[in-house]
Amino acid sequence: MDDRPLVTGVGVVSAVGQGRTAFASALFEGSARFHELRRAGRQRGTTFIGAEIAEIKCPSDLSARLPRAISLSALAAVVALDEAWHDAALENMDPRRIGLIVGGSNYQQRELTLLHEAYSERVPFLKPIYGLSFMDSDLCGLCTQLFGIRGLAFTLGAASASGQAAVVEAAEAVQSGRLDACIALGALMDLSYWELQALRSLGAMGSERFAAQPQLACRPFDRQRDGFVFGECCAALVIERPSVSTRSCNAYARVSGWSTTLDGNRNPNPSLAGEVLALRSALEHARLTAADIDYVNPHGSASLIGDETELQALSQSFLRHAYINTTKSIVGHGLSAAGTVELAATLVQMRAGRLHPCVNLDDPIDRDMNWVLGRAREHRIENALSISLGFGGVNTAICLSRSATERAVAPERVG
Amino acid sequence: MQSEEILQLIARSTCELAPALSTHTFRREDRLAELGLHSVDRAEVLIAVLEALSLTIPLAQLSGPQNLGELADLLQAKVDGR
Repeated sequence: MDDRPLVTGVGVVSAVGQGRTAFASALFEGSARFHELRRAGRQRGTTFIGAEIAEIKCPSDLSARLPRAISLSALAAVVALDEAWHDAALENMDPRRIGLIVGGSNYQQRELTLLHEAYSERVPFLKPIYGLSFMDSDLCGLCTQLFGIRGLAFTLGAASASGQAAVVEAAEAVQSGRLDACIALGALMDLSYWELQALRSLGAMGSERFAAQPQLACRPFDRQRDGFVFGECCAALVIERPSVSTRSCNAYARVSGWSTTLDGNRNPNPSLAGEVLALRSALEHARLTAADIDYVNPHGSASLIGDETELQALSQSFLRHAYINTTKSIVGHGLSAAGTVELAATLVQMRAGRLHPCVNLDDPIDRDMNWVLGRAREHRIENALSISLGFGGVNTAICLSRSATERAVAPERVG
Repeated sequence: MQSEEILQLIARSTCELAPALSTHTFRREDRLAELGLHSVDRAEVLIAVLEALSLTIPLAQLSGPQNLGELADLLQAKVDGR
């Protein structure tokens, strides 16, 4: 029996849609929502752009149990987790066999900035709850309390590869037999003007060229790109052991292979060798060849150097034939959440038998890749490869394969 | 400020944190733990009351009182002793 883990639940919160169905619809329509950032704590005499969630709708039975004041990241997490939880019917599983890995670090920066501003002149009266909530692990405490998770819970920081790294560790925990199911959650990165300013100064974040036209600013792999555009998002994926009773029949796909490589580099510059190694290692782990991959979901952050390097890595790994699109061109760069959100995008495309288009890819830096341009196209993905790259020299790659145990669902249910 | 006023301040701060207690008639004999507030919530109430009274004292100085009435008395003494 193939003991590689399955994905049995997906939950998503994003600026383009809350819930799997709305998220998938927005992807297939290519309907991005970039604008000047408006949330309190995002601007300080600046005009940063990005995608912000208009409203997170919390199910009434969940909202009744939420603590009085929780952060934006925490609210997004519990709503995404709730969707994935019920999708996978985890309420039927022994809670001691369920784990949670939250991908991301320092993801509540805007909330902390606002709190510091509010109490800067009255520090002795700082709310005591700050002693709990300032830590990223507060999200684990909240989620394990609300969902009764008793197996394992911790946060995992790998910069913009956090979301995928969480999935890798969840897959490892499940395959080792330590858990029957592990939720990998990419936390919503709630940036303040401090981080936005620094990311702009680093040259990582755009956009100068399209500052007045936010809808045109997010352009992964386009010659006119000038850095990533931030997008609020969060996703939760349930990674499950296939041998657990008859639950496997609800699988979206099998996590057939994964890889994490390190460049030994603190700086943000990418490494071609590191990325190639990650791609080849993931394929090897999945027992697949490059020819078996028919779809690639790249990191594609719209970094000037990063995008070039990533395409070179795909070329050197013999992956030019595969369909490729740019989820970040629609959702934005979710940083800590990007890896899980883009895996969610891959999974909803696998379920729907369709591929979403690339937005703003008017003049690709490499025209000969198999881009999905213009409109969504029909395609039944067999083997997908998803890539996430993070500051600090982290390269992750995950293979998702169509599983014989996938749930038979009419394509129109998703997107 | 009289102890009774401070008791009402404690009651208001408690209700802001725990709206379900808005229909409760607060008495001197009440204890926040018995009203369902856990340790973090109790600390939040105390800090809110201290701020309302503009009292900057360590919370450890408020650990003696056994009920809301004794707490109000202690806070009155702190306010009067400024």
